[in-house]
Formats: sequence, structure tokens, C-alpha cells
Amino acid sequence: MYRIGAQQIARVSSAKARNYATLREIEMRLKSIKNIEKITKTMKIVASTRLGKAQKAMTSSRVYQESDLDFFKIAETQLPEGSDRTLIIAITSDKGLCGSIHSQMGKKVRSTIAEYPNADIAAIGDKTKVQVLRSNADKLVMAFNGVGKETPSFNEASLIVDELVKLGTYDKVVVLYNKFTSSVSFDPSAAEIYSEAAIDASSKLAVFDIEDDNGTTETLARIALTNAIFAGMAEGYASEISARRNAMDNASKNAGDMINKYSILYNRTRQAVITNELVDIITGASSLD
Amino acid sequence: MFRQTIRAVSKVNRVNAVRTYAEAASSLKLSFSMPHDTIFTNKEVTQVNVPALSGDMGILANHVPIVEQLKPGVVEILEGSNSSKFFISGGFVSVLPDSKISITSVEAFPLDAFDKSSVKTLLAEAQKNAASSDELVAAEASIEVEVLEALNTALP
Repeated sequence: MYRIGAQQIARVSSAKARNYATLREIEMRLKSIKNIEKITKTMKIVASTRLGKAQKAMTSSRVYQESDLDFFKIAETQLPEGSDRTLIIAITSDKGLCGSIHSQMGKKVRSTIAEYPNADIAAIGDKTKVQVLRSNADKLVMAFNGVGKETPSFNEASLIVDELVKLGTYDKVVVLYNKFTSSVSFDPSAAEIYSEAAIDASSKLAVFDIEDDNGTTETLARIALTNAIFAGMAEGYASEISARRNAMDNASKNAGDMINKYSILYNRTRQAVITNELVDIITGASSLD
Repeated sequence: MFRQTIRAVSKVNRVNAVRTYAEAASSLKLSFSMPHDTIFTNKEVTQVNVPALSGDMGILANHVPIVEQLKPGVVEILEGSNSSKFFISGGFVSVLPDSKISITSVEAFPLDAFDKSSVKTLLAEAQKNAASSDELVAAEASIEVEVLEALNTALP
């Protein structure tokens, strides 16, 4: 019994040394690469179709946020100096397969933490959450997932802000997101959000006629945060989709290259096997004469 | 030579100082946007009526800069003799010093896109829910009632 086992092992190892036995292996590998190419191609097409919608959402969110930014510019609102309660909100999504987009965000988060060592972190999307847990697990105060599957909506942003305000007030809020610069590049950026106190302290606030008994500045601060998160999500989503399209495009190209290489190898090996078999047959036949 | 220049300069000054009729009638630049869509960007209009929290207000060019919260109601945009009406769910209006006005709202639809009878049925339902013992349902319903009542009065 043992001897048979040992024999089998010996046979397997000798079969590996021989070249023809790999024909099967090459065929299987070729098949799996073809399947992978199908998947990456489909993912690329899906990403391409979503990109248009994502870009449209991003453009309108930029316009929507602009009125806030105009106001802060004219009121000359400034971030408080030397504040200690800082919240960093990092926006990515739950899904990978889109190039370096999540790891770039992870880098940006780490460099921002270096800037504000006492900061708390809220992560939107599982990918940043995992990265923050690895490097600064003690600073993570809140994490959201399930966003970024579809084009982000204002409603999602509002729900996130509803949860974020439960953390209490922060002097300084920094939103980190991947800014969409072009269809081939993105830029991890930071947007600083003004708190209610910062708006009240703006030097040129008197330019505006504001009825404060309605709590206008409070609502304004809340809306500005929601807007920044919404705009960040929209930008991040557009960057992610376009990064995924590029990543999948490259993957399909590489798969195509490998398919070519392996088809040639497969054909050559097959030919070699046939030639060898012919040689065997002819030698056998001629030895009978 | 010098005198001539001085005169020219003083003339320029005078033109600047006097606010002419044409300038006063210059138009507002309206931006009207929602998070997911933009209705107008820098569109020249004559007057905008908005439902501010402190009361309805009409805004003309050269209005003093303001920031106001908006309640659910009708935004009316007048360009010359044309007027277009939108119903908004609430938001913000800000008038900037250079006659730029921006309205931001979470939702906005043209007034003629609403159906009065369905507004009435929804309003009846919301009023019923507002009396609910479940606090969450009641709170949501009371917001619905506020919006629907505004919509109901706005519709002809």
C-alpha cells in the first residue's frame, strides 16, 4: 500500500518535469484569464455608463455649494486659530478594484492626523475605516458604510450629518475627499468647514442683514457641513468611478496580452505534443520492419 | 492742457456718483440650485419673490445683502413681464453685494407640475398621522402637513 503511494508521488513529480503535461494547465489558465477579462470588461462598461451620471451629480453639487462659499468669502469667515477639538471626516466608499483611490485617501488621512494630532476621525466608507483602524484605531469615533454604491444623494449626506452632530461640537471640521480633476486623475483634498462660532465671528458679517432670532447662522453652519459632505461624496464617487474605469481598462488590456501569450504557448505546446507522438508512432512502425 | 484733464476727470467722477435710472433698473443675477440639479445659473432677472422664514419678500436689484432661511412655499421669478413659479421645500436665499442672488433648496418643482387633488388626499392623510401616538410618525407627519398646507394654498 505504502509502496503504491510512493510510486504515485514519484510519478506525479516526474510528470511535472515533463513538458507536455502542462498543456492541460495552460488550457485551464487560458480559460480563467478569458473569464477574468470578461469580468473586467463588464466592470469597465458599467463604470463608463455610471460616469456620466456621476459627473452630472458632481457638477450640480458644486454649483449648490458655491452659494455657501460665496457667502463665506464675502463675510471673510476664518477658521479659529489654535483650536483643539478637531474632527476629520474622510470620505471614500466600500468597494475596491479602483486603483489607488482608497490608499491615497489613507495617506491623506495620515498626513492630516500629523497636522492635527488631537483630532478625532469619522470614516465614511469601509475602505477608509479599515485603513484608519490599522494606523490610528484609537482616534476613530464614528464610521459609516453602505454609501457610494449609487450616485450620492443629499438625503444620505443629511442622515450622516444627523449622526455626526451627536458627537458634540467641534471647533474645526476638516472634510477629506478625492477631488475629481479629470477623467484620468484625482486629487485627495481637504475642505475646512466653518462652525457656527466661526461664522458668528467673521469680520465682515455685518455686510449681511441677518435676522439671528431664527437661528440662521446655526442652520447655515449645519447646511454648510451637509453640503461639504455631499459635495465630497459626489466628487469622491465620480473619482472612484473614473478610477475604476481606468483600472478595469488596464486590467482588460493586460488580460488581453496574457491571452495572446498563452494562446501562442498553448498552440506551440500542442504542436510539440503532436510532433512527439508522430515521432513515437513512426519510430515504432519503423522498428517493426 | 491740465485743466482739460481735470475737467475730464471730474466729469468721470460725476457720472460715477450719480446713480442713473438705467443702473437702478439693472437686473439681478439669479442662481437657483438643488443638490442634484441646477435650475438657473447667473440668469438675469428683474425680481424674485421668496418665502422667507421672517415673511414673504420681494427682491429687486441692488438689494441690501442678506442671508435668509426659506420655508416651504413659492418662489416667483419675474423677468420683464414673464413670471415663473416654483414650489420649494425650504432652503436658503442669499443676496450678495453685487446683485447676485442665490437660492438653494433641497427640492424644487414648477408649480404647474403639482396635482391639486392628490395634494389634498396626501394632506388629509398627513393630518391623520400627525395625531399619531408614535412620536416619530407624528413629527414626520407634522412636517408633511406644513409643506402640504403651503402647497395647497399656493395652488390655484
